[in-house]
Amino acid sequence: MGPLQKTRADAAARSSDTLIGTRIPKKDAPQKASGRTRYIDDINVPGQLYGKILRSGQVHAKIRSIDVSAARALPGVHAVITAADVPWQRPIGVAKDHLPLKPDRVRSPRDEVAAVAADSEDIAEAALKLIRVDYEPLPPVTDARAALKPDAPLLHGDDLVWTGPDGRAEVVHAASRDNVAMTFKYAQGDIARAEADSAAVVEDVFQLHYVTHCCMGVSGVIAEFDASDNLLLYSNTQVPFLHKREFAEMLGIDPGRVRIIQPPIGGGFGSKLDIYPFEPIAIFLARATGRPVKLIFTREEEFLASPTRQPVLLKLRSGCSADGALTFRAVETLHDNGAYTSWGATTPFVMMQTISSLYRVPSCDYQTLAVYTNNPYSGSFRGYGNLQATFAVEAHMDKLAEAIGMDPLEFRLKNAQDPGETTPQGMNFKSCGFKECLRIAAERSDYQQKRRAYRQQWNDSSILKRGVGMASMLHVGGGAKIYPSDGCGTILKMDDFAHLTLITGASEIGQGSETVLAMLVCEELGLPLSSVSVVNSDTDITPWDVGVHASRTTFIAGNSAIGAARKAKTKILTAAAGKLDMEIAALDLQGGYVIARATGERLLELSRLIRSLHFSDKAELVMTTYYYEPPSQHQDKEFKGDVSAAYAWGTQVVEIEVDTQTGIVRLLKVTAAHDVGRVLNRLGIEGQVEGGVVMGQGYALTENLIVENGVIRNPNFRDYKLVTAPEIPEMDISFIESVDGEGPQGAKGVGEAPAICVAAAVGNAIYNATGVRMYGLPFTPENVYRALHGQAKPVTWDIGA
Amino acid sequence: MSDITAYAAPRSLDEAVSLLQAGDVTILAGGTDLTPQTKSGKLTFRPTLMNIRRVPELSGLTESGGVMRIGALTTISSLLASPLIHERFNGLWQACDHFASDQIRNAATIGGNICNASPAGDTLTPLLTLDARVVLASKPNGSIVRRTTPLGEFLTGPGRTARQPAELLEAIEIPMPPEGFFSAFFKFGTRPALDISVISIAIGAVRDGRKLTRVRIAFGAVAPTAIRAAATEAALEGRPIDAAAIDAAVAAAVNETKPVSDVRASSWYRRELVGNMLRRMLDHVANS
Ligand SMILES: Cc1cc2nc3c(=O)[nH]c(=O)nc-3n(C[C@H](O)[C@H](O)[C@H](O)COP(=O)(O)OP(=O)(O)OC[C@H]3O[C@@H](n4cnc5c(N)ncnc54)[C@H](O)[C@@H]3O)c2cc1C
Repeated sequence: MGPLQKTRADAAARSSDTLIGTRIPKKDAPQKASGRTRYIDDINVPGQLYGKILRSGQVHAKIRSIDVSAARALPGVHAVITAADVPWQRPIGVAKDHLPLKPDRVRSPRDEVAAVAADSEDIAEAALKLIRVDYEPLPPVTDARAALKPDAPLLHGDDLVWTGPDGRAEVVHAASRDNVAMTFKYAQGDIARAEADSAAVVEDVFQLHYVTHCCMGVSGVIAEFDASDNLLLYSNTQVPFLHKREFAEMLGIDPGRVRIIQPPIGGGFGSKLDIYPFEPIAIFLARATGRPVKLIFTREEEFLASPTRQPVLLKLRSGCSADGALTFRAVETLHDNGAYTSWGATTPFVMMQTISSLYRVPSCDYQTLAVYTNNPYSGSFRGYGNLQATFAVEAHMDKLAEAIGMDPLEFRLKNAQDPGETTPQGMNFKSCGFKECLRIAAERSDYQQKRRAYRQQWNDSSILKRGVGMASMLHVGGGAKIYPSDGCGTILKMDDFAHLTLITGASEIGQGSETVLAMLVCEELGLPLSSVSVVNSDTDITPWDVGVHASRTTFIAGNSAIGAARKAKTKILTAAAGKLDMEIAALDLQGGYVIARATGERLLELSRLIRSLHFSDKAELVMTTYYYEPPSQHQDKEFKGDVSAAYAWGTQVVEIEVDTQTGIVRLLKVTAAHDVGRVLNRLGIEGQVEGGVVMGQGYALTENLIVENGVIRNPNFRDYKLVTAPEIPEMDISFIESVDGEGPQGAKGVGEAPAICVAAAVGNAIYNATGVRMYGLPFTPENVYRALHGQAKPVTWDIGA
Repeated sequence: MSDITAYAAPRSLDEAVSLLQAGDVTILAGGTDLTPQTKSGKLTFRPTLMNIRRVPELSGLTESGGVMRIGALTTISSLLASPLIHERFNGLWQACDHFASDQIRNAATIGGNICNASPAGDTLTPLLTLDARVVLASKPNGSIVRRTTPLGEFLTGPGRTARQPAELLEAIEIPMPPEGFFSAFFKFGTRPALDISVISIAIGAVRDGRKLTRVRIAFGAVAPTAIRAAATEAALEGRPIDAAAIDAAVAAAVNETKPVSDVRASSWYRRELVGNMLRRMLDHVANS
């Protein structure tokens, strides 16, 4: 734990030349801005073929037969495969209920039925059209509530059996006889007693919709086997080390024989956290043809066949005492699991944290049923369930405050967590700037005064009505221990000219980790940023890391990089002390020199010192390694445990204007206050917050993946509306620096945080503007207009069972 | 895979209509509709792709003899840059100002917007309020023949027009409006730019004090084509623009539009918008 406190003191001592808190342009920005970055789409491997996938287009059907003969006969086609050609394929995904190529049944229109490798994309496309599949339609289930009915068709009603090459059969996914894919249950305290003691109780049902990541770089992979049958993948994955192992298992080879290279990734946001069928399919095609196979989605395919954010139906019952102390929360959610299980089903891990621990709530009850349907399946997506949970929780914070006649800010302050607290779920908040976030966001937005003023216009004749709304969030900020290790490794080498190469397990997906890791290392070693290169994209080179998710990279990989840098520093200063005949403690590194700590006098040029170490009798190079494992815990079976090494907090106040004649909600201003521990790269963190707010804005106001009877109706940017530049609001961003004792230079994770509050805050603002509370997202003009005119479809729970 | 076997870039109207007469031609102007439509498979190229951008007779914005002639190739950007359009046909200018993005406006032509015949095509409603006519050229028997048709008759359905395969849209003609004429355009999309109209409204009328005459109202995206709204016009024609007239016009408008429900909006919401936004526009007229 400790090495970092000292670092901070050091940094403070030479505050004039510290990099921490300064504005550093991203290292990869010039390449990207000038169009030089080679994304996977730009990479072409000699001899490569082009892969394409035939999707079912059926919501639910039995495959009677597949005829690929005409496709195989097309000149330029090298392979056409179906499930029959890969009897050894293993199921993928979180629950292992999903075969990449579907053998006898399809459960959604995106389902992969066959695949082609050909000399060109055009030929592959033409070959797909020649494949004849005979389907027998089966009754579809496209509503999670309907899927729970006793007579509902079963989507995974049979055991999924995998037969190995040795003929041994193994049940890899057990039948679900009620369409339930997963369940979660968490409880603390005594709900019944708490409810009896409550002065106010509110209950509502909330409905959260489908959105998708819309990464500017579409999904893609290049798979290639070498002459010894080792697999090389160029992949956009966010978890290369976990996937190495899965692909090896799929192929029945040693994981050491799988190498994953990550070209610069055009956006991840969680969408690349699971294995999806296109990846094994590209591997199958490479196997079948003995050639490299490149498989890149079209934009339409990206909409149709990449994961979504988890849609949730959520019933929340909350209570508080007359003096404004929360008493209990009871939550039931129905997660539409879609046709197969991916990470979306596991969002309750995060949702229950918000329910139980954002505010102090003595009694909590949380339950989720994730239910199979023929709808799209959801993956992880920035915020991981937290947008959904926060939407409901923060609506109830306003409703309860109103019920007891308390100011909503005061109500939140009364229930907000303090530093040092350990919640019943086991989270220990070593650093916590939550109350400061609340106060600063409220103050800078003039929240209290505006909220009272805007309420006055509910019944006047104005067409345009303004409102303010507030919401807060708690999210992991120091990794999340969901795998056996949540660690990250670093290798650091310094060459003869004192140039550093930082080799890190951490993946860069545009979040700026390269830059921040380089800063942290330079800060330790007193070097300018120009003297470090970062290598982070090849599993044969980089040390292990669990992956880029859970807002963990700056925290975990940052600590790992600092660890390696401190070892290098010790080695350098020890050598310098020997040469200078001085105490190590009297020396430091700065500006490429060994200096006298007390006076700052330059004693030795660093690169000369390094060369003299190298070219001497006891020849030595400066190379260090470090593996950082955060001091967090796995949650137990009751979902209790201190799952992260630090926690991030934030409050956002939004100001909106509602056009009551069209339903358009304009987001005018977002005032955000985030406890980020410490600002490392100010430019980078501002970008993270701005980008996150815009993503949250899209979730709240514009984005809607329309799924009707299992079919996605708007798989294009014309009708799936991302936020455009003129819609982006004014932002006022404050950083609360709670300086976390475990964080690198005191920093905590911030990647997901800024997206989490926006929808919840906008919901509260619409109420403040109009007196109408909306329980379902998105707040698109028609939905808002309907709500204002009493035409909204009510959100109901009505699950039979 | 593309089925184009020949590419032609004629340099005169004569050459262009001769090629059309030979048959099996896809006409390419700015390509901003053609490209997405052929890419998505909604439309297939015919064997000859004819790029008409080099045909000089198809460009130009000229006024003569009381008629404004807009060449079919005139881009949305050049309409926006024209002071004449801004002053005399402000509704059309406003439509161009709400049209797509700069990149698209630089390529998109008014002829393409008309021939694409989308019910949501943004220049169509203002053109309808201006009594615009389309000039079609063809070369059936060795010499160029022209016919002129009112735009309202030219638009026959979503993506359908009265254009014969051998005809080229040469120009749009608009009779210069009388003194006191004003026009306006409103487009409802869910965002400020780069959106397809959920509904659009164009109005044009001659104003004498508070009285409106020669009233033209057109709606987009509420019917299979952009339409003139006869009952709405009648409710305003020859009357002073006051609360009663506006109420009557709004009631007529809601009554005479029968929009569809699609991914962009429900029929109910479109009608609500037609009523609310027409009222907003007419209130604006009444108060100015
Ligand atoms: C991103 C984007 C945004 C858009 N936003 C808008 C918008 O806001 N409002 C709007 O109305 N439209 C919009 N469009 C649609 C399109 O830009 C317009 O309809 C445009 O005016 C079409 O003109 P074009 O020159 O590109 O036509 P093209 O694509 O070249 O042609 C369209 C059709 O007309 C035919 N054609 C073209 N010229 C002639 C001619 N002289 N004679 C006979 N046939 C002809 C072509 O064969 C084709 O069938 C948008 C398109 C895109 C891609």
